[in-house]
Amino acid sequence: MNCSELAGDYELYALGVLEEPDRGELREHLSRNCQVCTAEVRRAAVRVSALSSLAPEAELPKDLRKRVLASVGIHPQFRWNWMQTWATIAACAVLGMFWVEHLRRERIREVALQDAMQQVKQSEEVLALLNSPETIVRVSSEGAAQPPQGKVFLNPKRGVLLLASNLPPAPAGKIYEMWVIPAGGAPIPAGLFQTETNGTGVHLQKGPIDVASTGAIAVTLEAAGGAPQPTSQPIIVTPLKNG
Amino acid sequence: MTLVPLLLALEFGEADPDLAERLKRREPQAMADLYDRYGRLAYSVILRIVRDSEMAEDLVQETFIRIWSRSQAFDSKKGALGPWLLAVARNRAIDYLRSVDGRMARSSYELVEMENPALFANLESQVIASDQASRIREALSKLNASQRNVIELAYFEGLSQTEMAEKLGQPLGTIKTWVRTALKNLRDQLGVVASA
Repeated sequence: MNCSELAGDYELYALGVLEEPDRGELREHLSRNCQVCTAEVRRAAVRVSALSSLAPEAELPKDLRKRVLASVGIHPQFRWNWMQTWATIAACAVLGMFWVEHLRRERIREVALQDAMQQVKQSEEVLALLNSPETIVRVSSEGAAQPPQGKVFLNPKRGVLLLASNLPPAPAGKIYEMWVIPAGGAPIPAGLFQTETNGTGVHLQKGPIDVASTGAIAVTLEAAGGAPQPTSQPIIVTPLKNG
Repeated sequence: MTLVPLLLALEFGEADPDLAERLKRREPQAMADLYDRYGRLAYSVILRIVRDSEMAEDLVQETFIRIWSRSQAFDSKKGALGPWLLAVARNRAIDYLRSVDGRMARSSYELVEMENPALFANLESQVIASDQASRIREALSKLNASQRNVIELAYFEGLSQTEMAEKLGQPLGTIKTWVRTALKNLRDQLGVVASA
């Protein structure tokens, strides 16, 4: 066969569907370095590649690129760029903010827990004082309706417990201070306290107290840090001698 | 159809000869660029043939390994890199298909022949340039259902005309007419590529 007779076989050959004996004829031309057939088969091979466009477009699997490159010994290097830098900084900043917030909440929780434990401990001490048979009770201004009142529990080993009522919260910069007043002696500071908005307050001054020599328990309004001696008239006075 | 990525792959970016030259120099980035340009197209063709995504991944890998290892034999000045890669991709996939179908012996020789890089040499321009997009579209649109069917059976399943006749229950002569008409349309529309 001559080249012109083979002209219709080039694409078939390139497509891989040319059958014998035509395939053998064309292959013989190619093996003889037939310039015409060689050139035409080359062109046909490229034209046949256009048939690839009949394939539906598929999404490439994400890791395939890395896998292909690795298979020929190419491992993509990590390239640091500004976008990644800023993204990293932003991520660190966000993580930092979360961490600081976490620490703040932990601190609040810890303080609240400590407060609760302190209250429980104080409640236990108050209950112990109240339950002790050695505790005596005195009430101030008994019979008066509106004035601040104080009920005092004294225990020679545990101390003094004051339950105040009708005592509004101390104004800003002020605080209530309890005093143990010995009979014929100067008032001794017995701790600072604040009252609730409903006018009630509980104050426990722990430690042994000489009940026999104590003349009264009093409360004054003092500056926020307290005072070594009363600076104002007592708001509550609970004498002990009358019991 | 993958016409758009095919054209984008062939039209934009550096020319194939530059990429082929860098492949010959064993530049790692050249392999990455080759994959970025032709990976999706190769995967689409292979997946269409084997219809198994895992196997398609393996065959894409095999295709690029083959291109990498044979790039020394490729004419980087006048070669058509894309069509060569597509031929390798298609042949790897059909080879696999034949192996599972028990058709391994038949036609395997010409498949190997069609992978030869020399076959894609001395083509001064890329045959599938953007100005030929409409030609490809037109050529494919001119195929009637039967012609398109046989072309797809040949290109994507690697069936011979005799096998197509058996599969479709048509006389061999009819199949040959459909195939030749379809390929003539393709040739007429795409014309003759640059002189060898």
